[in-house]
Amino acid sequence: MTAIHPHGPTRVPLRPLARILHARATGENPDRIEADNIAQRREQMRDTLRRKSARRLTLVAALSVAGFLLIGQRMWAIANEPLAEPTGPATVVAASGRADILDRNGTVLAMNMPTQSLFADPLAMTDPEGAADDLVRIFPDLDRDALLRLFASDSHFEWVRPHLSAEQRQAVHDTGQTGLGFGTREMRFYPNGPVAAHLLGGTRVDLKSADAAEIFGTAGVELEFHNWLSDPANAGRPLVTTLDLRLQAIVEEVLEGGVALTGSIGAAAVLMHAPTGEVLALASLPDYDPNDRPVPVRDPKLAGTDPTFNRAVQGVYELGSTFKIFTVAQALDLNLVEPDTMINTRGPMTVAGARISDFHDYGPALTVSNVIVKSSNVGTARIAGLIGPERQKAFLESLGLLSQSPLEMPEARTARPSAPSWGPVESATISYGHGISTTPLHLAAAYAAIANGGHRVTPTLIAGQRHEPGPQVLRPEVAAAATEMLRQVVDHGTARNAGVPGYNIGGKTGTAEKPGVGGYDEDANIATFASIFPTEAPEYVLVVSMDEGSLFVNGATERTAGWVAAPVAGEILRRIAPLLGLRPSIAGADASGVDRP
Amino acid sequence: MSYLEYSIRTVPSGPAKILHLNWALILLLGAVACTGFLMLYSVAGGDFARWAEPQAKRFALGLAVMFVVAMVPIHIWRNISALAYAAALILLLAVELFGSIGMGAQRWIDIGFMRLQPSELMKITLVMFLAAYYDWLDVDKVSHPLWVLVPVLIILVPVALVLVQPDLGTALLLLIGGAAVMFLAGVHLLYFAVVAAGGVGAVVAVMWSRGTDWQLLKDYQYRRIDTFLDPSTDPLGAGYHITQSKIALGSGGWTGRGFMEGTQSRLNFLPEKHTDFIFTTLAEEFGFVGAITLLVLYALVIVFCITSALKMRDRYSSLLVLGITVAFFLYFTINMAMVMGLAPVVGVPLPLVSYGGSAMLVILAGFGLVQSAHVHRPRSR
Repeated sequence: MTAIHPHGPTRVPLRPLARILHARATGENPDRIEADNIAQRREQMRDTLRRKSARRLTLVAALSVAGFLLIGQRMWAIANEPLAEPTGPATVVAASGRADILDRNGTVLAMNMPTQSLFADPLAMTDPEGAADDLVRIFPDLDRDALLRLFASDSHFEWVRPHLSAEQRQAVHDTGQTGLGFGTREMRFYPNGPVAAHLLGGTRVDLKSADAAEIFGTAGVELEFHNWLSDPANAGRPLVTTLDLRLQAIVEEVLEGGVALTGSIGAAAVLMHAPTGEVLALASLPDYDPNDRPVPVRDPKLAGTDPTFNRAVQGVYELGSTFKIFTVAQALDLNLVEPDTMINTRGPMTVAGARISDFHDYGPALTVSNVIVKSSNVGTARIAGLIGPERQKAFLESLGLLSQSPLEMPEARTARPSAPSWGPVESATISYGHGISTTPLHLAAAYAAIANGGHRVTPTLIAGQRHEPGPQVLRPEVAAAATEMLRQVVDHGTARNAGVPGYNIGGKTGTAEKPGVGGYDEDANIATFASIFPTEAPEYVLVVSMDEGSLFVNGATERTAGWVAAPVAGEILRRIAPLLGLRPSIAGADASGVDRP
Repeated sequence: MSYLEYSIRTVPSGPAKILHLNWALILLLGAVACTGFLMLYSVAGGDFARWAEPQAKRFALGLAVMFVVAMVPIHIWRNISALAYAAALILLLAVELFGSIGMGAQRWIDIGFMRLQPSELMKITLVMFLAAYYDWLDVDKVSHPLWVLVPVLIILVPVALVLVQPDLGTALLLLIGGAAVMFLAGVHLLYFAVVAAGGVGAVVAVMWSRGTDWQLLKDYQYRRIDTFLDPSTDPLGAGYHITQSKIALGSGGWTGRGFMEGTQSRLNFLPEKHTDFIFTTLAEEFGFVGAITLLVLYALVIVFCITSALKMRDRYSSLLVLGITVAFFLYFTINMAMVMGLAPVVGVPLPLVSYGGSAMLVILAGFGLVQSAHVHRPRSR
C-alpha cells in the first residue's frame, strides 16, 4: 500500500537558486525565501488535508443522515402499525375432541376438560435457579435438582408439569420468571375418581410439544375403543357402556370393606345381567385413580400388588368348588343322574393312582343335591367319572371357560384359561375346579348360562346392542334344577353367610389353594363365591373373589370362601337388590291378621 | 496546524470565556435532559423523588463538570490525553482484577458520592488519546501500516477488557467510535474496506455454515440470531423485550396516549423501563411526534458539534470534537435502533435521558471538551 502523498503536484524547491542569487545580489536575507517556501508548502499540505477531511466528514455526515432517516422511517412505520397482542405458545389451545364415556344411565364416566400445562423455555430463562426455587415452592412435588437439570438443557421447549389449577397457574405467573409458559390442552377427566378405574383404564397425553394434544388410551375401554373415541366422525356421540355407576360404586365399596376385614391382598367382583351378558359392575382391588394412572409393575413377583392389574378379567385363578355345579349340571343334562340320585362319597378315592379326599367326611353317600350343598370333592369326581373327559371338556368349552373371554377390554385378551392335558386324573380334579384356571369373568359368564335357562352368554361392556339368546348348552329344566341346588347351598350349605333375609339367592363357594413353592400353599387361598339371584326368576350373576383373605372366627382362622367371600357377596346383594328393582319377600307379609297394640 | 502554532492572543481569556461558550449547544443538552426528567417522572408513576430527582441532581453536577472542563484550555487537555487514557485503562484493569475477586463481576468503582464505570470514562479518553496521537503524528505517516497498528492497539486493548466484563454494548461503542476517529484522521480507505469485507465475510461464513458439518456457532446461538431477526418467534424469551417494546411504541400512534398515560411501560410489561428502554415510554406517551422531536433534538446536537468542529484550526480539537460527536451519535442511534428492533439488545442507554450517573457525567464531561475546543479555538485576526 502506498502512503497518500500530502503534497500537491506543484512542488517548489525550498531554495530556488535563481531567487537566492537574486536576493544575495539585492542584499536580502536568502533564509527568508526558504522560510516563505516552507510556510507555503505547509499551507498546501493543510489545504490538501482539509479537502480530504471535508470529504471524510461529508461521508460521516451522510452516514449519520442515513441513520436518522432509518430511525425516523422505523418510527413512522411503528406509529402506523395496527396494534396486536403478542401471540405465542402461551395461547395455543389444543382440543382433542375425544368422545365421552357414559354408564348405562347416562352418567359421565370419562370426559374432557381444558387445563393448563406448564412448560419451560430453558434458553430464554434469565434466572433458572430462582425459577426452580419458585416452582418448588408452588409445587412441592417437583424436585429442585431435576428442575435445574431441565433448565440447563439446550432447548426451547421442556414440559415441567401437566394440568395446573387456575390458582397454580396464577402463582406461576406471579413469579414473573422468564422462560415459563402455559399450554392449554384438553385433559381426560374421570369425575368419579377411582370408581370403575379398571374398566375405564386410563389415558396419557402426548407431551411432545405445546400444541401436540392427542390423548391416547393406555388401558381398559379407553385403549380398546381409542380409535372410535378419537374419531372426529363420532364427534359428540358418547360411548355408552353397560356399567351402572351406582352398582359399581356399591360393589367397590363393599369389596373394599371385605378386603380390609379379611386382610386380603386383593379382590375382584363381576356383576352380570344373565340374559344378555351385560356387565353391570366390574371391580378389582387394589385400584387406582385413572386421572393419575400409576405405572404398571413390571416385576412378575409383585404383580399381586400392582394396582393396574385387573383381577376380574386378567387374574387367572383356580376357582375351586364353584366348578362343581358345572359337573352336576352336565350329568343332569345327560340324564346320567337325578338330583336325588345317591352318590358314593366314601373317601379317599383313588383315580389312576391319585388320591381324592374331602375336607370333611360326609359319610358313605350323598344325594347329587347334597354333593353340591356339602361340596364333596369325592362325590363330584365320581359324577365326572360318569361323564368322561371328552364330554366334560366339550361342555366346559361350550360355557366359554376354556377360551379367551370376548369382553371388550384389551386386558381380557391377555388372560388365557389354562387346563393342561385332560386325562382321567385331570377330569376328576377339574370336576371340582382344580387343575383348571380361569378368570372371575369367565366364571360369571358360565354361571349366567345356568341363570338364564341354559343359553351360552357372551359378556359385553357396550350398551345398546341387540342380544339374541346364545346357543342352548343346558336344558332349561336342568338349569332350573342346578339353580335350586345353588339356592340350597346358601340356604343351609357352605354359603349360609351369603344369605340375605327376604331374598332367594343361589350360589357356590370355592376355595383353592394358590400354587406355592413345591405344591399348593395352604395359607394362601383364592376364596370365590359365585351366585345367581333371585332364584325364583334368575336374572343376575355376581362373582366375588378374595385373594389370600382370612377371618378369625370362633377361635379359629377361617380361610374358606364360606367365611371370606360369601359374606362380602351377601352384603353386596343386600345393598344392590333395591337398585335392581328386587323386592324382598317378607314372611307373614299378609297384614290382615296382625294384632296392633 | 498544531495547537502550538495558533495565536493565543485571539483566544478569549478570564471570565470572557463564559460568553464564548457554545450556549446553543448547552440549551439543547438541557432540553434533552429535561425530556429525560419528564419521562423518569412518568415511569415512576408520578414520583419525582424516585428517579427524576437524582437524575436532575446528576445533570446539575454534570453541567458543573462541563463548565470546569470547558474553562481549561484545550492544549492542556491535549497534553494530558495519553495520561488520561492510561489512567482509564488502569482503572478498567483494576475492576477486571479486583472486581471479580472481591464481589463477583463488577464494572464500577465506588468514589464516594457515586459509582464510576471505567468503561464509561474510556469512551472519552480513548477519543482524546486518538486525537492527540493523530495531532502528534506526521500527516504523511497516517496510513503507514506501522502507524496504523498503533491506534488499532490503542482501541482493541480497552475493547477486549470491556468485552470480558462482559459489556457488548460499550465494547461496540468503543470500537466504532475509535474507528471513526481513525477514519476522520485520514487513514487510507483500503484499511476500512479490508476490515469491513472481513466482517461481512465472517457473517456470511457463519450463516452459511449453519446446518453443515463445520457449523461455526452452536445451535442456540443461531436461534438467538433468529430471534433478533424475527422476535415474534420467541415472544416469551429473548424476543420479550422487543415484542413488548414494539407494542409500547405502536400503542403510542401519532400523538401518543398522553403524559403519564402509558400502560405498557407503567404496568411493568417492560423491563428496564427507566434505563435502556425509556424511549418506549416517550414513544408511547407522546407518540410519533414526541419521538421524532427527541430525534431532532439529538440531530441538532450533532449538527452544532460538527459546525463547531469545522471552525477549528488545529487537528486535535477537530478530531476530538468529531470523535465525541460520533460517540454521542452512536449512543442514541444504537439505543433507538435496539428499542425499535433494528439492532440486537446490547444494553446501551439513551444518552442524557436514561437513568444512570456514570453515563450522564461522562457525556457532559465530553461536551465540556467540545466546549473547551470551541472557546479556545483560534479566531481570524
